[in-house]
Amino acid sequence: MPERESFEELALPLLDSLYRYARWLTKNASDAEDLVQEAYLKGLRGFESFLAGSNIRAWMFRILRNTFLTSRTGLRAIPPLSLDDEPEIAEAIADEATPESEFLQRLNAEALGTAIENLPVEFREVLLLCDVEGMSYKEIAATLSIPIGTVTSRLLRARAKIRKALS
Amino acid sequence: MNEHLTIGDIERIADGESQPPAHVRECARCAAAVLDAMQLKRAVRDAMRGDPAPASLRRAVRRRPSPMTWLAAAAAIVAIVAGALLIARQRQPGALAELADMHATLLASANPVDVVSTDKHTVKPWFESRLPFAVPVPDLEPPFRLIGGRVVYWRGQQMAYLLIGKGAHRISVFVSPRPIGGTEPPNVSTLTWDSGGLHCVAIGDVPESDLVQLQSVWERL
Repeated sequence: MPERESFEELALPLLDSLYRYARWLTKNASDAEDLVQEAYLKGLRGFESFLAGSNIRAWMFRILRNTFLTSRTGLRAIPPLSLDDEPEIAEAIADEATPESEFLQRLNAEALGTAIENLPVEFREVLLLCDVEGMSYKEIAATLSIPIGTVTSRLLRARAKIRKALS
Repeated sequence: MNEHLTIGDIERIADGESQPPAHVRECARCAAAVLDAMQLKRAVRDAMRGDPAPASLRRAVRRRPSPMTWLAAAAAIVAIVAGALLIARQRQPGALAELADMHATLLASANPVDVVSTDKHTVKPWFESRLPFAVPVPDLEPPFRLIGGRVVYWRGQQMAYLLIGKGAHRISVFVSPRPIGGTEPPNVSTLTWDSGGLHCVAIGDVPESDLVQLQSVWERL
């Protein structure tokens, strides 16, 4: 039987990703550092409950997120109403909301950054997990403890909002 | 299947969650929409990537996982934690050191790679039929050149192995769906980074700046 890997071996390579996630959750460098440190401490303390061979990334991201949500900034960031109640837009046909390729060619990185910053935190995080971390819908659903359908609808609406903000 | 795709279909394709249907090959409008979604995805990735964790945070997490705002009572916990980390580190042979050994073993072998090709369009599909994840194979430019690849097994998991040349030097890149950590081994340079949800480790008898340069090629994938 292979020796169980240490917490450090599994969790340290995730530092850049966790810090990035913390930055996008808190929008503040020093809050992000505190959040990451606290998440590592909690992860280490709870490592006994981590099932060897299961997904350490989803596990650490979940710890970081829960830590954020129970912090003061996190409580403020939770929207009063559910974001997932809006009508379905997934069924719209392609050309209604798309695809002027010039839209992307003249896409301004700074404007895009601002548009992402202005998104509600639930939208920012699915974009980050999908587009930067390259997680599958299933992994995002597991990390955020939400159904896959909610993952796809948040992604759709996040991207629609970005397109609208940049158009 | 001549129906136009919905926005939902297009994003699932761009996100790699489903394969494009035959319709995309025939319909310029849907093909353009898929391309557009991929471009937006890439732009978002670049915009959100940000800076790596500051070195101070890395040190803090490694050695003293103690947020400064914590009460004095936490200090006791921190001491225990730091002790546990130290013991864990001493007991655990470094994963990176094991990969450095594998690097040396493979280079000493008569056939270090199973697919010999400088062409990413040969190497990438070769992995597709052998691994459950898509291996990112970059377009290398001088001074780097692709030599080939193979599948390796390490601690009960499959990884992709790419062999890259720089002059007479050889660099091994291991690509794994699981993170790899541990302390850095002596005598060789190592660099770890994440790419598209996968975890890469480069090892070689070259200056670390070469590995950083190689990583930047990966980032352009």
